[in-house]
Amino acid sequence: MAKPSRYLMAPLLAVLLMGGTSIGAHAQDMTDVGTPRNQTLVVQTFDGKSANPDDQNPLNSYAIWHGFRELGWSYLWEDDTSTGKSYPELADGMPQVLNPEHTKFRVKIRPGVYWSDGVEFTTDDILYTLATEFKYKDKLTNVATIVNYIKPDSWKAVDKYTFEVETQKPAYDFVQVMGVYTWASAFIPVPKHVFEKQADVTTFKNQNPVTLGPYTVKQYDPNGFWQLWQLRDDWQRSGWGNLGQPKPKYVLYKDFGAEETRTLAFVQNKYDEDTFMSPDSIQAAEAKNPAIQTFSPTMPFNDMNDACSYGIYLNQQRAPLDKPEVRWALALSIDLQTVGITAVNGEFKAAALPLADTPITDPLFYKPLLDFLTGLKLKDGYQPFNANFGSDLIAKLKDQGMDDSMLPTGDAIKAGFGQGWWKYDPAEAEKLLNSVGIKKGSDGFYTLPDGSPWTIDFVFPSDWNKVMERVGFSIADSWKKAGFNVNARQVDNGEFTTVQNTNSKLQAMINWSSSCTYNQNFLNSWRSFTPTNVKDANSNDPLSGNYLRVTDQKIFDLVADATKQETTSDAFLKDGQQIAQELTSGMQLINLMNIPTTIPTNSYYWKNYPKADNFYAAPYTWWSSFKKTIVNIQPTGK
Amino acid sequence: MGVVQYVAKRVATYLAVLFIGLTITFFLPRLLPTNPIDSYIGQIQSRAAGMLTPEAIASLRESLQQLYGLKGDLLSQYLGYLNRVVLHFDFGPSFAYYPAPVSSMIFTALPWTLALLLISTLIAWVIGNAVGVVAGYFHTKRWATVLEIVGILLYPIPYYILAVSVILLLAYVVPVFPLSPTFPVGQLTLPMVGQILYNSFLPALTLVLAGFGWNILSMKALAVATTEEPYVTFARLKGTSHGTRMIRYVFRNAMLPQVTALALSLGMVFNGALLTEILFSYPGVGLLMRTAASNGDYDVLYGAIALSIIAVATAGLVIDLVYPLLDPRIRRA
Amino acid sequence: MTTETQTTPVAADTAPKRKRRDEGWSSLLWLLNRRLGIGLVILLIFVAGSLVLPFFSPSDPSQQATYMKNLHMTTKHWLGTTALGQDTFWYLIFAVRNSLLLGIAVGIGITIISTAVGLSAGYIGGAFERIVMLFVDTFITIPLLPILIILGTLIRANYAYLVSIIIIFGWAWNARTIRSMALTLREREFINMARFSGAGTFQILTREIFPYVSAYMLVGFINTVLFAINTEATLAVIGLSKVEIPTLGSIIFWALNYNALFTGNVVWLVAPIVATVLLFLGLFLTSTGFNEAFASRRGVA
Repeated sequence: MAKPSRYLMAPLLAVLLMGGTSIGAHAQDMTDVGTPRNQTLVVQTFDGKSANPDDQNPLNSYAIWHGFRELGWSYLWEDDTSTGKSYPELADGMPQVLNPEHTKFRVKIRPGVYWSDGVEFTTDDILYTLATEFKYKDKLTNVATIVNYIKPDSWKAVDKYTFEVETQKPAYDFVQVMGVYTWASAFIPVPKHVFEKQADVTTFKNQNPVTLGPYTVKQYDPNGFWQLWQLRDDWQRSGWGNLGQPKPKYVLYKDFGAEETRTLAFVQNKYDEDTFMSPDSIQAAEAKNPAIQTFSPTMPFNDMNDACSYGIYLNQQRAPLDKPEVRWALALSIDLQTVGITAVNGEFKAAALPLADTPITDPLFYKPLLDFLTGLKLKDGYQPFNANFGSDLIAKLKDQGMDDSMLPTGDAIKAGFGQGWWKYDPAEAEKLLNSVGIKKGSDGFYTLPDGSPWTIDFVFPSDWNKVMERVGFSIADSWKKAGFNVNARQVDNGEFTTVQNTNSKLQAMINWSSSCTYNQNFLNSWRSFTPTNVKDANSNDPLSGNYLRVTDQKIFDLVADATKQETTSDAFLKDGQQIAQELTSGMQLINLMNIPTTIPTNSYYWKNYPKADNFYAAPYTWWSSFKKTIVNIQPTGK
Repeated sequence: MGVVQYVAKRVATYLAVLFIGLTITFFLPRLLPTNPIDSYIGQIQSRAAGMLTPEAIASLRESLQQLYGLKGDLLSQYLGYLNRVVLHFDFGPSFAYYPAPVSSMIFTALPWTLALLLISTLIAWVIGNAVGVVAGYFHTKRWATVLEIVGILLYPIPYYILAVSVILLLAYVVPVFPLSPTFPVGQLTLPMVGQILYNSFLPALTLVLAGFGWNILSMKALAVATTEEPYVTFARLKGTSHGTRMIRYVFRNAMLPQVTALALSLGMVFNGALLTEILFSYPGVGLLMRTAASNGDYDVLYGAIALSIIAVATAGLVIDLVYPLLDPRIRRA
Repeated sequence: MTTETQTTPVAADTAPKRKRRDEGWSSLLWLLNRRLGIGLVILLIFVAGSLVLPFFSPSDPSQQATYMKNLHMTTKHWLGTTALGQDTFWYLIFAVRNSLLLGIAVGIGITIISTAVGLSAGYIGGAFERIVMLFVDTFITIPLLPILIILGTLIRANYAYLVSIIIIFGWAWNARTIRSMALTLREREFINMARFSGAGTFQILTREIFPYVSAYMLVGFINTVLFAINTEATLAVIGLSKVEIPTLGSIIFWALNYNALFTGNVVWLVAPIVATVLLFLGLFLTSTGFNEAFASRRGVA
């Protein structure tokens, strides 16, 4: 009997894989949306398909991805992601502090900036934006930060290019609230002359908006898959026209679908920058198309300087996770090297403190606290820190067959793989657990002191964050091997947030929201460690912060003290370092690794992307700092 | 009169089914351990880069609860929901993408789903049944068995695999079709229709491949059974040609259950929509449902599922009313 | 016509498939046609293999990093290894076993419920039937896949929920079919005979009608197994099931998650596809084979 389809499948697939590239790489003149390919920068969207692409009103929601904050809007101050320091964009210099309580500020803006429809940008727009945000604060959904930061009706114009405003509390981070912090700004000026004409600003869609940035929306897909931006002719008069000339005439943000199809399109040069492609796919793509490159030619290949780090957040308020011995036992039972190799091909940078280890945070936190880490002792005298984590990982990678030329040596090892991490020692973990009455039962799994079996509910994202999903399953596997009965669950976005916020639902989860210290200003991550953000251990009420469930009074005091300091001062930094030490010695957060942002680029049509040896900006296409890339890339001439 | 009674009874059943179905779908999303407000706040937080203070979050939560109408106990919410949906066909605002109204989101996505699935289901049905009736009529021949085997092999192949293979073959190895669709914007012109067809070809092909295996098999089985019926033998003895016998006698009689199946499968488009739309990035209701479920977006879910229930129930109603016309034997009952 | 060797209805509650096959070999040999034969052979290989082989597995195949990643097919690893360092062959064996167990569990559940509901509704008739059919119709109109997606969060927490939910939303189709059959049977001669000779409703249901519908039940059971395995696989492939547990769906999920085709580990994806197709083929042939056999035995289409 003939069974055609089955026998055809295997050799067919083999042929496809081998023959794919040769056929696919024919040059294309036009993009799918009708623009010349070599004048268009095509980028995979960060958030897939947008559900309400019509909604382009920054006061309300959504108009953040797909190019709005990178190309369309403009801000008072921007963040230079190569150094972490803010610089003025719409503003002319830094704000002037008017009173010793640090609540009154005067801001000057640059003259000569024009909206895309030719009207000049003045303080009228800024004051109108503030007034509107307050007037409709119950109906607008994207104004909560400003409304709780600025004092109502405290703004006034000094002249067309100067205004004054007052904050509700003493503010030391004015520039990074009214301007960009890492990837976005809470304050986005809207055009007064357009918005004031609307009958209802709260439902105004603002389609094809009037923009301050050098790009306008040329076309967008009503189904939400793509958005096409076009360079303004008068880009020099735009909000960041003084940064340099934007090179692509068009920028297309498009969702190329699931990774299985995206990789094929990428190899065919259909787009230039991907977002979060998994490491093994990138490797296979590089083999098929030499124009595809990662951030660095050696391990860990990808940029590891994202603002946040992944960690395991434990509900410290619930037994038995309320005991530091238990938390340490969990940390020592993770074979992070194997987890990293399985989940992300070994392409990760371990971070032991509760924040990412980046060139910016390294001199501020990691280097000063290195002695603390190496000297850290547990109650029984055990020293858990392994400063040779990187070299050990390299040895394992060599066993896996990785070529020496791809592996860093010398100083580059710590720069690539981190200053170190905790040892993998399940025996010590068992000792710690036994010391609090948790012993292994007959089935090999740990039981609680009262004899009942102990299951840990471990939550992490599903497909919407593949890396965390894989890491989660691998960590669960590591824990199971050590004797913990883990119920690993991948969850959707909505449930993820609910578990994060609700005490009764959380036991352990992978998260990143409280470990996002990008530069010296750690308050953005740790500001919420206050007694008001502690709820009962089994409460069903949602938390609005303090997702680590910190109950340590020492930390509360440190945070309270830090709010009174200038964010660029030494005293402020000292508070931050001490908080990090407290969190670490109690293992209140099992920090894992920097977020590996895998952004492969395709240099067939464009070159000079930010790379490890050409680091002029963070390479993320969804941060507002993408503007630096726009200004620095060059066409290859194909 | 019998007919009026029958119709009335049938319509009454239809309405009762709708009511129960809508009630069940109201309560189901409430089983979700997801609070839609949390989901929305989560999105805002991820954009806010840590700027959102706890006070800001708390105040936002308050206003969202008001806006979403999630205050009040379950019973009053249920009555409000029934009132809105049944009397006004208003499914309310989406939670995750407030204030976009659910009906507009669904009605933007609906034409895509309907077009794709109706057309491919129809094609699969026509081709499958044609092949099936021929194979069933000549079921003693060798090649009929071969055709049946083709059906047998296609039928169990998981849909996802069919989809990936189709993409690899027709968009990568032989790049005739696009790897991911780009649907044109603007007024509907003839070249645009062409573009739409071009971009929809792959998902349609996969659906046809997935569907017509079953049609071949079931039609063949029915045709075989019918061919053995006495009245067909009688027709053969009477001297009619193969063609006439095949079409007028076998097909017409075997067709009835197939028509039922067709109508029901048309009503069930939303079941098949999902995988297709996710894999091919197809902007239909299935994708909408998936995103809504992950965000805990109750209203969009109600809307989509309610629509689906209405479609299937209506299809069933139409069949039951039309069937007697096709098959005189049933009219008696 | 008399019923011959049918055992008491209790048999239906305990692994009907096994029982039927045993009987088949001894007293219903003439039932075998080529289709049924092939189908049964395939099923036997799968069932026996997946139940027996796991005892010989060198380790738990769902544990990660037991071996090197992405190894090719060798004598040590018959199908190579996955990107998670697991042995593909042993993972597949466990996957087939789990899928079969799931299918059988669902099949038993649905068969019991739908038969009980369908038979009683069809035979008893009247208001009882109308109310029951109302619920059956409602459940038929509710689309299963969206419900499963909504309840996906519950499913991922607990595998038992998956079985229960498929049963709850899947029994309606079979119930309808059985009820239609019961309807036609109600008026048949031998039923009237039994009724006139004083048999109670329950006795009639179990002694006369049930054996008649048992053939359809068997076929329905096998189809349900197929449906259950397919549904679970669909859910797993889009990541909505408990993908830690090896099943036919979850192995495909992992292979796609790690982009097996693109990265070159083709066997990881193709082997479960082949296994799935073969398994479904076996189930399908068995189901239609039984159908044919019963039909020819009755002498009626």
